[in-house]
Amino acid sequence: MSNNKAFAADASRKERIKEWVSRPGGFGIITGSLMFAAITLVGFIYPLVGPYAADEFVGESLEGPSLSHPMGLDQLGRDVMTRVFSAVPADIGIAFLGVTIPLTIGTVVGILLGISKNKYVVSTVSSLIDGINAFPLLIIAIAMVTFLGPGLFNVVIILTLMSWARYARIARTKAVVVLQQNYIEATKLMGYSKRRVISKHVAPNVSSESLAYALSDFILVIIIVSGLSFLGFAARPPMPEWGSMIADGRTFLGQAWWLTVFPGLAICWSAISLSFIVEGLSRRDRGNS
Amino acid sequence: MSNALVQIDSLCIDVKVTRTRRLTIVNSATFDVHPGQLLGLIGESGSGKTMLCRSLVGTLHRRGAYINSGSLTFNGIDLIKATPKEWRDIRGKEIGYIPQSALAGPNPVMTIGAQMAEAIQLGEKMDKSVVRKRAIELLEIVQIRRPEIVLKQYPYELSGGMKQRVMIACAIAREPKLIVADEPTTGLDVTVQAEIMQLLKQIRKDLNTAIILVSHDLPLINEVCDDIVIMHAGSTVEKIPSAKIQDTRHPYTEALYRSRIDLVEPRGKLVTINGQPPTVGDWPTGCRFAGRCDYAKPGCSADVEIPSIKIGPNHLTSCIRQAEIWGK
Amino acid sequence: MNRNVFLRKLGGRLLRTISISFWVMVISYSLMRLSPGDPAEARLGAGADPEAIIKLRETLGLNENAFVAFVDYFTGVLRGDLGVSLANDVEVLEIIKRTFPLTLTYIVLSVFFAFIISIPIGTIIGWSNKASAVYVFRGITSIIIATPNFFIAMVGILLFSVKYNWAPLFGYVSDFPGNLKYLWLPITVNTLILVSIISRVLQSSVVDTRAEEFVETGIIRGVSRPRFFWFYILKPSLAPTVVLLSYMMGTMLGATVILETIFSLPGIGRELVGAVLANDYPVVQGILLLFGVITVFLSFIGDLLAYALDRRVKL
Repeated sequence: MSNNKAFAADASRKERIKEWVSRPGGFGIITGSLMFAAITLVGFIYPLVGPYAADEFVGESLEGPSLSHPMGLDQLGRDVMTRVFSAVPADIGIAFLGVTIPLTIGTVVGILLGISKNKYVVSTVSSLIDGINAFPLLIIAIAMVTFLGPGLFNVVIILTLMSWARYARIARTKAVVVLQQNYIEATKLMGYSKRRVISKHVAPNVSSESLAYALSDFILVIIIVSGLSFLGFAARPPMPEWGSMIADGRTFLGQAWWLTVFPGLAICWSAISLSFIVEGLSRRDRGNS
Repeated sequence: MSNALVQIDSLCIDVKVTRTRRLTIVNSATFDVHPGQLLGLIGESGSGKTMLCRSLVGTLHRRGAYINSGSLTFNGIDLIKATPKEWRDIRGKEIGYIPQSALAGPNPVMTIGAQMAEAIQLGEKMDKSVVRKRAIELLEIVQIRRPEIVLKQYPYELSGGMKQRVMIACAIAREPKLIVADEPTTGLDVTVQAEIMQLLKQIRKDLNTAIILVSHDLPLINEVCDDIVIMHAGSTVEKIPSAKIQDTRHPYTEALYRSRIDLVEPRGKLVTINGQPPTVGDWPTGCRFAGRCDYAKPGCSADVEIPSIKIGPNHLTSCIRQAEIWGK
Repeated sequence: MNRNVFLRKLGGRLLRTISISFWVMVISYSLMRLSPGDPAEARLGAGADPEAIIKLRETLGLNENAFVAFVDYFTGVLRGDLGVSLANDVEVLEIIKRTFPLTLTYIVLSVFFAFIISIPIGTIIGWSNKASAVYVFRGITSIIIATPNFFIAMVGILLFSVKYNWAPLFGYVSDFPGNLKYLWLPITVNTLILVSIISRVLQSSVVDTRAEEFVETGIIRGVSRPRFFWFYILKPSLAPTVVLLSYMMGTMLGATVILETIFSLPGIGRELVGAVLANDYPVVQGILLLFGVITVFLSFIGDLLAYALDRRVKL
């Protein structure tokens, strides 16, 4: 009833924003976005303005959290807080690449498959896609490390090689559904060129679904990247990275809990903020809370 | 009046929207149902007819709705104050319910046979062979061919019409005195619609069950039912025998009647009713149809109590100006 | 569904599962060929004896045409020969037989407990009218799911091994009941995560079911409580949970790698990590193949179970 204001053509910008926020899920999306933006920004800015460098030896090893070192010092006397925030480009940045690149490749392949009339190509590639998707991502990533070697850059390659199949599957399924819709038939009858149909109707619908999945995937990939580093397969010391920091801290678990807890909390913070966004979006989709 | 099966008087149903906000869905509903009567309940979406049905089977609380005031009696029992035990004795046994065909129907994860057994037994222990016999009997009444096979099937294997017949079979399983049918044929083929209406009429005749048939299709109701209750914006605005529909004394009913599609001349204009029903909760004062009424005068929207005027033995209307418009 | 139609669909699905398994085999075998460098050299080290490198290439089938090598491998697998570990000459199959049971045990136990706990939680919250309960539930589960499992494990170790010493930090004893001491924490961690995931899906499924008309009909018919619970609430809601579960098993198998590393459990996950570090290709390939095939078959079984529960599910 009071929402009607927002639909009026002359609704002020403020009112429209207010209405958008008050719809179901708004709270989650905003909180999540703010949280995620926070850690990303701090991650990129802090190393530039902070008092210490990530690999600078600044004090006694294994000193606990204090005012000058809120997250303590690690076994080599480096400031944990600086390292935690310096790891943002590695963890979040690599994960970002590990999502966007497969997203693009996979969606394109998926749409092409959806359009294709060639039965053999479609069924072969689909089986291949199903085959790739059959492996748990972490497992096949680890296996590929055997063959491609460790390192953050290789991780991006591995993720691309493995993840595109998931996006392709989603894109293809959605593309097939969209193509069967009546409005596509309508465009054909109206004489739209095939290219136009694809770019204006198929692609946007498919992309929105793929993007939604990409957001959840982002969470997964962050965890996988840090997991791989934890096992020693991705980031290597002395590069600051949450997973490898946790692995390093394991030896000192009893004496210096802050070595593992703070990087872990950073991973949690990133993942949780993203999952708030995902949850908010899904609540919005459902139309209720 | 005293031998009425169902007596509804000034019933008011509210819904709890948030912890503090309440919406009145049904403002004032008044009508009676007699044993064996086929009563039609007509109204647009949002008129409150579904809520009214739910109040008769006691499932208002599921939607956060509750009866605010008025009275609702069935067979002498006050349904507003009925205890769970009384409801258990009434539901299924005295009052049957046929849901809207478009929405669902039988439980998709159970076989038809299992659900019929449920409807027949209603929690009581019965011999399996007796139950099975009765189930087949019921399926035959609703004109389902090869009942023994249907018993073993799952709902998704049946057509819409068949599913609805199963629901009817379940509703009449214990030969209730009243059946509430909430838009039972909406969404079904026209031919199937006709068959099911025929079936309901037959059931009424054979079992002397009173049936409240809810719909938004006036011609259908007119043809099938003995009497019609018309609802608009949460109130019952007229009750009229269907034979007398052309002697209506309420502008809304008149408008509904005139807008029937079968009345349209070839190349003629479709008659429509102006405007939209008022948004639920945003009720205007006075007569709620006044905003769309051709006969409205300023006095209609005044903040007055809407009356219930008796025109004939079975004819009630709540149009304030009815005497002026149609004469005494 | 008609008997024949069902069998036909079942057959089709089984066939598809097998063909995907075939691709799984192809992929797990071809990975080695993707290496930019020479796998044999990588294994033995850059300064190794050239003859040894050639010999290793021979063993690994790298000198042959890829197609021929694969056929060899394929026929070998069908016979049960998955190759031999480069590190210690033990048959890969033997290694699997030795390490997989432990992994399987704690996974199955985790899933079992998780289900038992999730069903009441998911159903009660799904059925509940209190918005606050739903918020809290979804909030907590979101957080648990978003937290990486190794972090939960480390926190668990911090609390229970370091602070309270209720669980040993490492080591393992394989006979029952001695091994319970070592297994309870990993199983608990796993179960906690699983409960969050399963109860969440179940909760939203119950919410959807609740809105359906047939539930209303069931109430009106006055169906008895236990019957109502199973036939009108649980059974129609379980299908998505089961499908999800079979998908989750795959992810969980993946997670075992990390868990076993943290808890120092001699399961197949830890074996895989060791093989990767040692460039022990046959072992890596063998375990990879195992995981892939298991996941594929699990998803098949999951869909079958879902169909058994709710006929609306597409096979």
